[in-house]
Amino acid sequence: MPAPGQSAPPVPGLASGRPTLIVFFETDCPTCQLALPYLNKLGAGVIGISQDSEAATREFVRQMGITFTVQLDPGLKITRAYGPQSVPTIFLVGGDGVVQRSLEGFDKAGLNELAAALGHPPIAPEHDGAPAWKPGCSSRHLEPESAGPDAGSAVLLRTTAEPATRLSVPDGEDPFAFCMEHFGDALPVIPPTEERVQKMLAVCGLPPLNLGPREIVARVPPVYGEATVEKIAANAVMAGCAPEMMRVLVPLVRAACDERFNIHGVQATTHFAAPLVIVNGPVRHSLGFWSKQNVFSNVARANSTLGRALQLVLLNIGGGRPTGIDMSALGNPGKFSYCIAENEEENPWEPLHVARGLSSGQSAVTLFAGEPPHGVSEHNARRGKTVLKNICQALATVWSYRMCMMHEAVVVLCPEHVKTLHRDGFTRQQVREFLFENTGTPVRHYEHEEDRGEGMQLIPHYREIMIDGERCYQKFRAPESLHIVVSGGTAGKFSAVIGSWATGPTGSQMVTYEVE
Amino acid sequence: MPLTLVSPMNETVVKASAPPARLTSPAGKKIGLLDISKPGGSFFLDRLEQILRERYQVAEIVRAKKPTYTKNAPDAVIEQLRGLDAVVEALAD
Repeated sequence: MPAPGQSAPPVPGLASGRPTLIVFFETDCPTCQLALPYLNKLGAGVIGISQDSEAATREFVRQMGITFTVQLDPGLKITRAYGPQSVPTIFLVGGDGVVQRSLEGFDKAGLNELAAALGHPPIAPEHDGAPAWKPGCSSRHLEPESAGPDAGSAVLLRTTAEPATRLSVPDGEDPFAFCMEHFGDALPVIPPTEERVQKMLAVCGLPPLNLGPREIVARVPPVYGEATVEKIAANAVMAGCAPEMMRVLVPLVRAACDERFNIHGVQATTHFAAPLVIVNGPVRHSLGFWSKQNVFSNVARANSTLGRALQLVLLNIGGGRPTGIDMSALGNPGKFSYCIAENEEENPWEPLHVARGLSSGQSAVTLFAGEPPHGVSEHNARRGKTVLKNICQALATVWSYRMCMMHEAVVVLCPEHVKTLHRDGFTRQQVREFLFENTGTPVRHYEHEEDRGEGMQLIPHYREIMIDGERCYQKFRAPESLHIVVSGGTAGKFSAVIGSWATGPTGSQMVTYEVE
Repeated sequence: MPLTLVSPMNETVVKASAPPARLTSPAGKKIGLLDISKPGGSFFLDRLEQILRERYQVAEIVRAKKPTYTKNAPDAVIEQLRGLDAVVEALAD
């Protein structure tokens, strides 16, 4: 592989005088299918080198919408001259014909650096549903057995799909009954007529979304159905969304399909988990999201329909059938709709999306794979610490009482509890740290256990701490395992704890996406 | 006039493959045992391995383990199992 500073081997079309990216790819490599459409934004500064046949390459270029020049590499001669270990590998060749650097696999930060080297703004946004990094596949010339000239995947990660099928409701048949029978969950839905879907699509075609109806926003697990803008719109109609809600629903579907959130596991698990949507920022007011009394209930069309639209997308496009691949033992009422907004007006601290890296002027959706809310009543305490100690005892029961270090929780603080905490000088971070340091399970509850129930097998990984003079195993891994949200009405000292499903890189990680 | 609706359902074309023929006997075959990393899966597979070796004289046992039960098996795990005659997956706790 030519090192930086070495001359670039010849490539047809490589012109001197300007920097160029040379990208080696295979048509059946999922990472190539993910990475190459990003390079479209760099126009003439890119040359693709396909390691596959002309037919497979032509199909790849068509389905992926590739607009830059692509060269075939019969006999893999160019590939051997450059010698990439894996694909995609991108070489940045300067105007003087010298290799400046190379980038292997899919790497958003690296792609943005290459774009900058060509004088372009960033091409790989952080929050577009794709992972920050994904390794590539072995380069074709290093494979022990050549996949042959016709190598190529039948199912490419294409960027657009065919229009949705049109269905006719026979004359005389009630369209609501038709929809109940053919799609949706156990509740009635609004029939997705062409006229209604068109109103949704009109919003999508305008800034900030600028999306055509056939564009694929995400592939929704567990069946990895292609969620085109049109299909998302049809589900939004069924859920009762206002057309403007597409501004929120599209990034929400991207967020749900972010690999870090692992909706594949969330949809299929036997656990209670359902995606909890938390809305922050100015969009709460512009689209009418509710953040006050009854925030988890049935107040606002915006909350109810956004949560329901996401569930319908997961069900109808993702295939998470509650009588099939969604194997939850007891389920979760949130699978009809599970969407709250933060009551930022009653929050003296930074709101959730700001704590997660966005600015207060931005709007955002955050997803957490959670159980139903577990209420914590504390009406007598006069001190913030006492309020938090009460919440600690509820937090100790997350997943199960003796299971430690594995899970996380959203703590929804009601405005009255927040007032007490703020008056006592607590910051948001101090609330997290207090809950972290004071939540645990007494060691005596692990003793004299003959059956070695859940939580016992992980004791070697637990951390022993003292809480109120008693030896305890610490419940959570870190203060960051606790996500603080202020929401609900100003009367009633009821907060809530929402336990997680499996967490971290081997489970589901909270994700926050900007709503433009 | 009939009402026209836009299908909200998944219409992604999936390329399906026919399943291979069932083995008539595990004797002399290469058998993979896949642990999905749920607690207790190894007990089941340990016992199964013992039975396959003692009663059925399998030619080879390949033990593989997913890093987490919450996600699809990564390519490296699939590669371990490629080319075997059969795979038994231990699913639950």
